[in-house]
Amino acid sequence: MDTIIQQLLNAAQLGAVYALIALGYSMVYGIIRLINFAHGDIFMLGGFIGLIIVTHFGGLPFCLVMILAMLLTALVGVTIERVAYRKLRNAQRMSVVITALGVGIFLENLVRLLIGPETRQIPARLPTGSVVWLQQHLGVFVTWDKVLIILISLALMAVLWIIVNKTLVGTAMRAVADNASVVPLMGVNLNLIISVTFAIGSALAAAGGIFYGQAYSLDPYMGIDLGWKAFIAAVIGGIGSIEGAVIGAFLLAGVEVITVAYLSSNLKNGIAFGLLIILLLIWPSGIMGKPLLKKV
Amino acid sequence: MLILVACKPRGAEIKIGVSAPLTGDISALGQSTKNAILLAQDEVNAEGIKVGDKTMKVRFIIEDDENKPESTATVFQKLISQDRVVAIIGSQSSKCSNAGAPIAEAAMVPQVSPWSTNPNVTKGRTFVFRACFIDSFQGKVVAQFATEKLKARTAAVLYDIASDYNKGIAEVFRDEFTKTGGTIVGFETYNTKDTDFSAQLTKIKGAKPDVLFLPNYFNDVPLQVQQARKLGISAAVLGSDSWDNPQLIKLGGDVMNGASFSNHYTPDSENPASKAFIAKYQARFRMLPDAAAALTYDSVYLVCKAIATAGKADPKAIRDAIAATKGFQGVSGVITYAGNGDPQKGAVVIKIVNGKFVFDSAVNP
Repeated sequence: MDTIIQQLLNAAQLGAVYALIALGYSMVYGIIRLINFAHGDIFMLGGFIGLIIVTHFGGLPFCLVMILAMLLTALVGVTIERVAYRKLRNAQRMSVVITALGVGIFLENLVRLLIGPETRQIPARLPTGSVVWLQQHLGVFVTWDKVLIILISLALMAVLWIIVNKTLVGTAMRAVADNASVVPLMGVNLNLIISVTFAIGSALAAAGGIFYGQAYSLDPYMGIDLGWKAFIAAVIGGIGSIEGAVIGAFLLAGVEVITVAYLSSNLKNGIAFGLLIILLLIWPSGIMGKPLLKKV
Repeated sequence: MLILVACKPRGAEIKIGVSAPLTGDISALGQSTKNAILLAQDEVNAEGIKVGDKTMKVRFIIEDDENKPESTATVFQKLISQDRVVAIIGSQSSKCSNAGAPIAEAAMVPQVSPWSTNPNVTKGRTFVFRACFIDSFQGKVVAQFATEKLKARTAAVLYDIASDYNKGIAEVFRDEFTKTGGTIVGFETYNTKDTDFSAQLTKIKGAKPDVLFLPNYFNDVPLQVQQARKLGISAAVLGSDSWDNPQLIKLGGDVMNGASFSNHYTPDSENPASKAFIAKYQARFRMLPDAAAALTYDSVYLVCKAIATAGKADPKAIRDAIAATKGFQGVSGVITYAGNGDPQKGAVVIKIVNGKFVFDSAVNP
């Protein structure tokens, strides 16, 4: 029993990071129909920005490190959209996707040049002692950082949900997602809304990067594999849907962990992705996705 | 351009290729390889090599194989067909050396891998050599250490299944540990570039092993030990020669204390040749040489000595001279080839105490 709970917590921690990245993919796709392949690298960059802040301003409390890194990464995300994507907004889809891949490769090499190719870790800022209550009552050994990473991630997702569903900006975002050509006619500043979307997506990815750098590790190429996984999670959940991204992320992490725990670690990716293909065959537009209706 | 090439005096210097992981996941090891090559190159060229009646200089062409088998194959092709090197030193990881070996063998250019311990690298090949022991020996050393010194009865292994070296030594350890009466209670795998090992480790935790064997590279091991401890695994941790790089402590810190691993040599060595090498290396690069650096340095001298013995810078003659090497005194031990490319060398076990590698014991084959 304690092993099952421990495995579920392992999956929850991994799923939380997948979700923080997947949200950015989903939001950007929802609003401008762009699969932002540089997003995995923005996640990586967020982690490294966190690392730099922690190394140079050792005294800052963890929440300030997070907020600062999230703000800076948001700025990078907005700049990327302004410089690399905006001019191509009405070009064919393929051009922007290729540009996004280029931006990603640029970021990987930039970080490799500036910081180096070695594996690094963000020094533990969250408490790493074990949660005594859980150990005494359930016999589960789990450290505080894991619990906090899961909880803070869920809190960030809740904040996002409130922004999207309860604020004016959120209403505008949903309107643009619904019909990007009509909304500007209603006096909504399209560029601003798109910038806000990139900022939020990048900030969430940065939070994921910092958690990942503390719980696991950082290297300049980490964004490729994790970006793919998060992208797949977003597609499974129904790309464009915020709830879907979160569901997809936890589902993917859950399947991965359960495969290792109860089947075989050799089969982790094979079974995880095999199952996801089956899911897509059942729900071609993802679990929460709406079937695409062609407008005439 | 053509004229320039034609005018250049041919054979003024001897070209030796080096294939090293300068970038990629074990780039820190690529750096120590490069350091060792630069150090040895300057020393050798200070006097030059006597080849027949001429004194010649050597030039090392160092190429980056990114620790990827496919890139290593490209590097070997380039070194052989474009640079026309007379010998190749490298690569370091077994999966890469294994990818380069068929090319060197087919082109009949001798290859000396400093650090690749997987038995398959030299198997059935006449032009491929190594400067280190092989894993069928190393796995036995670790298994014996676990049963005799640590009195372990049960062991669990977590290894990278996509890498020849890790898979090979994990299997040797499993067989040897079982032979001595121990039980393997967990045999878990992951894939190169994975960073989350918590599911495998949680499974291992349930099996309550006495020791946890992690035959993986120094960039992964600290994360594995850290995640194991965070999951409440208190088993003693054991490793193999792939641990030896300063990065292990830089990344792992305190969490690595108390762990032990098998290695090629120890920086505490009393051997005068090793001491001199360590002093020179430390003075120039401001860090202790890892085993890969020591073995690379030995590989350079092994090849250069073979060139002098052969009396000509010809790949075939150099190969024969390397194969005939007897009692070569290197900084990592003595190298003698007896019919194949694998020297018989002893191993040491190193214990990590307060972030330092401390000599524990020596084992001879």
